[in-house]
Amino acid sequence: MGSKRGRSVIAATFIFFSMSCLNSISTTQAGTSMLDSDTFCISDQYIMKSYFTTQSSLKESEFRNFLRLQQCSENIPYEKDVPVVAMLQHREVTGEGSHRHLLTTIKLLRQSHLHELVIVERLPLGVFADPFELQSLQQRRAFSDVSVFGDTDLEQPSFRSNRSVVEIHVEINGNGEISVELPLHARYQLIGESGYSRVEFGEPDLFLCSRHVPNQEHQQRRCLVLSVGRSKTQTRSVVWDIPAGIRSHTEYVSVITFVAAVLSAFSILVASVLSSKVESCKNTKEL
Amino acid sequence: MSRGSEKPDESPKWMSFRTLLVSSMLLRVFLIIYGEWQDSHMEVRYTDIDYTVFSDAASLMASGESPYKRTTYRYSPLLALLLVPNSIFHRSWGKFIFSASDLLVGLFIREILKLRKVSEKVCTVSVMVWLLNPFTFTIGTRGNCEPIVCAMILWIILSLMKGNLSQAAFWYGLVVHFRVYPIIYALPIILVLDSKLFRSGQKPPLEDWNTLTSSTEKKTFRLKSLFSRERIMFGLISGGVFLACNAVSFYFYGHEFLHEALLYHLTRTDPRHNFSIYFYHIYLHYERQFSAVEKLISFLPQFTVQLALVFSFSKDLVFCMFLQTVAFVAFNKVITAQYFVWFYCLLPLILPWSRMKLKWEGLLCIILWIGAQTHWLLWGYMLEFKGVNVFLQLWMASLVFLAANTFVLVKIIQRHRFSPLFGQYVSSDGKNVKKLD
Repeated sequence: MGSKRGRSVIAATFIFFSMSCLNSISTTQAGTSMLDSDTFCISDQYIMKSYFTTQSSLKESEFRNFLRLQQCSENIPYEKDVPVVAMLQHREVTGEGSHRHLLTTIKLLRQSHLHELVIVERLPLGVFADPFELQSLQQRRAFSDVSVFGDTDLEQPSFRSNRSVVEIHVEINGNGEISVELPLHARYQLIGESGYSRVEFGEPDLFLCSRHVPNQEHQQRRCLVLSVGRSKTQTRSVVWDIPAGIRSHTEYVSVITFVAAVLSAFSILVASVLSSKVESCKNTKEL
Repeated sequence: MSRGSEKPDESPKWMSFRTLLVSSMLLRVFLIIYGEWQDSHMEVRYTDIDYTVFSDAASLMASGESPYKRTTYRYSPLLALLLVPNSIFHRSWGKFIFSASDLLVGLFIREILKLRKVSEKVCTVSVMVWLLNPFTFTIGTRGNCEPIVCAMILWIILSLMKGNLSQAAFWYGLVVHFRVYPIIYALPIILVLDSKLFRSGQKPPLEDWNTLTSSTEKKTFRLKSLFSRERIMFGLISGGVFLACNAVSFYFYGHEFLHEALLYHLTRTDPRHNFSIYFYHIYLHYERQFSAVEKLISFLPQFTVQLALVFSFSKDLVFCMFLQTVAFVAFNKVITAQYFVWFYCLLPLILPWSRMKLKWEGLLCIILWIGAQTHWLLWGYMLEFKGVNVFLQLWMASLVFLAANTFVLVKIIQRHRFSPLFGQYVSSDGKNVKKLD
């Protein structure tokens, strides 16, 4: 498990670093890759695991810096890979209510000898993924590996929580098209005026890694950054409107709540006192 | 339940208690097995998420780690200890334990009613109210631990009725450690341990179901009797057990235990929607903390009601405990459906003394209470599964639920035939003779 984690972390670290470098590429046009892809090597299973031991925020710049420090050891031969481009064919939030799915369809435009796709989904504030639910999905083979990092508190509202990251590993099959459905849950939002709070999703960071070999401790894995293009149909941003409390309700909700509690308490008090008076009258008559 | 119109003390064979118990047991075994099937074959699981939390915590404990490493595990380490066999024998071990406690509650209900000489037929019907309640048989089989708490509470009542003060005190200390809420019973139990009514080591005389009038003397307050031997013993033993359990848990699991298992329950304010009238008020104010004055004001209704109930009904101990539990849940800052089982287990114990007939007053109460819940659940569904902002409507539904709870509580008080648990002792000089019909 440790070596698996080690390898994936390095792989994802490498991938992320490369992705950050490639951020400057225009993402509205598919099929272009301007830079030589750097190869990263990872010895942990998940990037985000080692990232969060030293960092606390999910800022782009901090992550890039972190990834630059992840180097391949000398026994990993350098190979100049043919750049691989991935196209984000489809991305949307499906479902209704507080429990929805983030559906992402990716197509790899070139074959590669690296067979594991790593998706790093940095979730916006306001939604969270349930690690236990993801574990059971993994057991049902929806993903080959998955983990959540950052703030995984399932109970706090969004303004008392921090962002979290989901790292998903998926085996690539023959046709190079992968569809991932990530179950997400809404946190309680900051109160506002409109009654809804909008949460916007950015793009995932994608990497290609070599398949990990089980039980090899500290074996470094090579990973490749994927440059991501969007299909022409996928131009609007992905949003989720979550119900939120309305500020103007505050005053009268508090007053009425308190009045209701007092009225109820008073009714029960009167009923109790009357009832025990009746009983003691009865007993006095008897004695 | 009316006593006057009953037939001679006979029940048809199909309704015998033994048949009832055996069929309840078979039902629960079937549900546990079915639950395993549903969990592995369907998207929606039968098992409660809490059961997964307990099991994970228990396997952590079995491997020598703290059960509090499991997020949302907020119970005593004793529960995790009880479920350690989940990882050794079978993951359903806990469900069998909880369902067995559930059946024990049925047994205790019968024993308590029999000690007070309730007729066989009324007894069996009362036990059916617990054993055949769909909420009851699903709660244990889904893996919820509340049946254990209910069994302990009823055992405490039974011990008091048999005069076993130390036993009652021991289990009381343990149950308060296990689940904080039974602390509300401390005052009525202490009050009922009046040395005129209860002496440790002796079986106290119980007021029978057949007694039409009770013979309580007019109370003259004496400070000396406030600190009777029985009361001090009960306080010391239960307090000692409570502190000892906490001390041992703290020794093994430190501050995590204190925060998760104790302080969390005392300070819990959850802004997420639930049956409580306070949820929206808490959510709207969540950005800023409540001041001490605000917290006190919101605690006043709860506090007043508890005191009023205790001072009015403490002699009728079981009735008092039932009312206190309903009121405690209704006025609490957070209400979840599993709390209802805390008073479901006491309901069968008060039914034989109620003048409320099922038709139509009883049915009205049931329909109003369930109707108010269903109404709330519909708005809850709109919010959580349809994503529509109905916070205001949901909050109003919780006000309606509080109104329904208040109505049912007041009706039960009005229709109850007050009957103290303990009668007067017959002393050797002939004073304080118990009146019987």
